Formats: sequence, structure tokens, C-alpha cells
Amino acid sequence: MKFLTEYRDPALARRLIGRILSTATRRWVLMEVCGGQTHTIVKQGIDELLEPVIEMIHGPGCPVCVTPLEQIDKALHLASRHDVIFTSFGDMLRVPGSTCDLQQVRSRGGQVRVVYSPLDALELARSNPDRHVVFFAVGFETTAPANAMAVWRARELNVSNFSVLVSHVTVPPAMTAILESPDNRVEGFLAAGHVCTVMGWTEYEPIAERYRVPIIVTGFEPLDLLEGMYLAIRQLEEGRHEVENQYVRSVRREGTVPARELVAKVFEPVDRQWRGLGTIPRSGLGLRPEFSDFDAELRFGLGALHVTEPDACRAGDVLRGRIKPFECAAFGTLCTPERPLGAPMVSTEGACAAYYNYGRFRADQQQAAHRE
Amino acid sequence: MCLGIPGRIIDIRDDGGLPMGTVDFAGVRREVCLAYIRDEVEPGDYAIVHVGFAISKVDEEEARRTYELLKEMSQLDELDWMEEVAEQGLGQLDETTS
Repeated sequence: MKFLTEYRDPALARRLIGRILSTATRRWVLMEVCGGQTHTIVKQGIDELLEPVIEMIHGPGCPVCVTPLEQIDKALHLASRHDVIFTSFGDMLRVPGSTCDLQQVRSRGGQVRVVYSPLDALELARSNPDRHVVFFAVGFETTAPANAMAVWRARELNVSNFSVLVSHVTVPPAMTAILESPDNRVEGFLAAGHVCTVMGWTEYEPIAERYRVPIIVTGFEPLDLLEGMYLAIRQLEEGRHEVENQYVRSVRREGTVPARELVAKVFEPVDRQWRGLGTIPRSGLGLRPEFSDFDAELRFGLGALHVTEPDACRAGDVLRGRIKPFECAAFGTLCTPERPLGAPMVSTEGACAAYYNYGRFRADQQQAAHRE
Repeated sequence: MCLGIPGRIIDIRDDGGLPMGTVDFAGVRREVCLAYIRDEVEPGDYAIVHVGFAISKVDEEEARRTYELLKEMSQLDELDWMEEVAEQGLGQLDETTS
């Protein structure tokens, strides 16, 4: 129980662990959706602590990790154009495309700028009217309200030299795709707390009902995760399958309504390719036709660019929960956080980076590391 | 980018119809859009901010705890992006800056 001392409230953590262990009559398979949750679970060793009764599968909830190679290549293409200032959140810069990454394009003279808010990109467009500013609109439902507002505002202010390369994804269709998969093993979900802060949980109710899986809206602190796991196990043991909210201090059933409303005005559901998972129907957000002037793919004619994923990287199997990161042959050898082969090794929210940073190697890899 | 960072709202103003405010993230100050929670907050309140947009109001204790946890998890990258923006500015780029 070496991990318990690190908890904010070790006594409460111990009680929750005790309750999980005494409630479970068999081993259950749960998936945490959010990359921040994966990070906490691996760092604190929560999955190892509860191994006898819970198998945790790490879900695809890292936006950097699931952005398909094709969108990265489109970003690289735009960033290389002399008439474009390409803007992006900082964590997309090191994601490898087919030939290089955005950082390399920048070092070769491409105008690539890190922005904190998509409104920064819009501001850059307004002060550089002779250039075209493209913003890389990535992320789950947590960044969608911000990106929707940038487009809304661009239209309101009539900023014609601004557009967005959209690669938005949404959580519920990915959960459905995982549950529909013939080799699915997931029996319950810990849903992503901050996504639900924006969206609420009404979208999850039909999923829980249809697939008979408990879905617990869960935060990302160690105690949140333990409580979320306990609520899931209790439902499974009682044969219930409901949406339950562990993260009450942040999440309301209806979410943040004004944010949801603007997202729905600017974006519409579209089929989207996920790195390693393939195309999932209606799992992404694309600009509505009335905002097509701000669509970088249309403006620069990028629709025809299609790319296939590299073989050595098994990101898809990791994101689907088929293998643990250390079961990939490239893990820790060809692929490290310094020289990532796939996106889950780039982001601190990625499962591969979490396993690498907290020393989760295969036994033989661990011995090799000790010898060094 | 999926975990919002808590900060304290210092002031609120209207920027051409868009509610904006200065938010303090443990000493780093930044302009944040408050449009989505404008009816719920006043200066002095704490909010969770995702990529420059306040998404929900939180109490001070929750804000403090979340910030500490994010720091421990090295999940405060967004503060680096803020600095990068502050350093480079959002004004006109001259031809030699590339």
C-alpha cells in the first residue's frame, strides 16, 4: 500500500479501496475515457492496487493522440505555405506527421505560432490583413466551445483572412464504437469529467441503457477515480446500468448550456477518422455550411489528401485497449517521448507517455533498463 | 488541453459585445473569454478555464486543489503557451520574423 501516503486523504482512499475489494465478487473490466484520468491512474498505481478485482483499459480520450495522421499532414502542408501563418495549441507541435512535425516546419522558416486561445489566432489575423491565418481546431468537447466562438466571432467581425483546420472529435460516438466492436471487453466506463462539465451527461443515458453498461461521470483526482470505480463496481454487482455523477462539484446534468448552444450553432456532427480506430460515424464536429468560408480545407483545397498510418506504431491497439503500451515492440526503443513514433507517446495525456514516464515496462525491458 | 486550469477572475469588461476578463492563474495573468458563464460570475470568483474560455465556476478550495494537482501532473502546459503568446505578441509580423 505504498501509494496511499500520497493521497490527499489517505484514510478515505483506504476506505474506498476496501469497499471496492469487498464489493466485487469477480474481476470487472472498466475503461477510463479521459487522458488526464489515465495519467493519474498510472502515476498513482491505482490499477495495480485494484488489479485483483478491476482491469482498467485506457480509453482514447487524448485529443493529441487520436488526431489522424491525415489531419497532421494537412496542417504541415498549410504551415509550409508562405502566405499562411499557422496557429496551434502548443501540444500539437511535436506530433509526427508522415515526414516531419510542425516544429520542424517552423525551424525551416514556416510561420507556425503557438496560441493559448483560438481568439489569439483571430487577433493575429486582424493585425496581419495581408496574410492568411489558419488555426488548428483540435480537441474534444472541452475545446469546442472556444473554437466555435473564434469562428462565430470571425464572421461577426468580418475577418476574411481567418480559417480553421477542424479535427474535432466527440466522446459518446467513440464509446459506442468501442462497445459495438466484436472484441469489446469493456463492462463499465468512467466518463471524462471536464467533457461532461461542458456537455452534461444526457448523451450518455441512451448508451448506458442500450448497451447495459454503467457510466460514471468522474473527475481526475485519485480520490475521484477511486470513487468512480466504486460506483461502477457497485452498479455491476447489483446488475444496474445507469449514468451516475461522481464529479458533482463540477458537473450538472445539462452541462454549460450557453457553450453547448454555440457549439451546435457553428458545428455539426460529421464522420471522423481517429488515429488507430478508423472512421467512426458522426464522431467529429465539422463546420456547418453557413460557416464554410472559414473552412481551411475548402479554402486551400485539401480534401483530396489521404494518408495511411505507419505499421510500426501500434497506437490503434493501445487506444482500443487490445494491448498495454509496453506490449508494442517499438515502446521505449524506437519510440520514446523524445523521439515519438506515435501520438500517444507525445502528449502527457497519452497512455504510452504515462507508461514510459512512470516506469511501466515489460519485465525484460525493466531488466535491460537496470543493466544500463 | 483537456484539463481546464482554475484561475481567479480579476475584472470583467465588454469587448465589442464579448464578455472578457483578466484571470489570474497563480500569478500569471491572462485575458479570458467569460461569455459562457457571464451570468454566474463576479470579480473575485474562481473558474475553470479551457484554452482561454471559462467553462464553469468553482469554489476557492476546489480551485486551489485542482491547480496543485495539475502542477503535480505536469499538466500546466497551457501556462507555457500563454507565455509564448505574451513574448511573441499578436501584432503585425514583419517579414524577417519567420
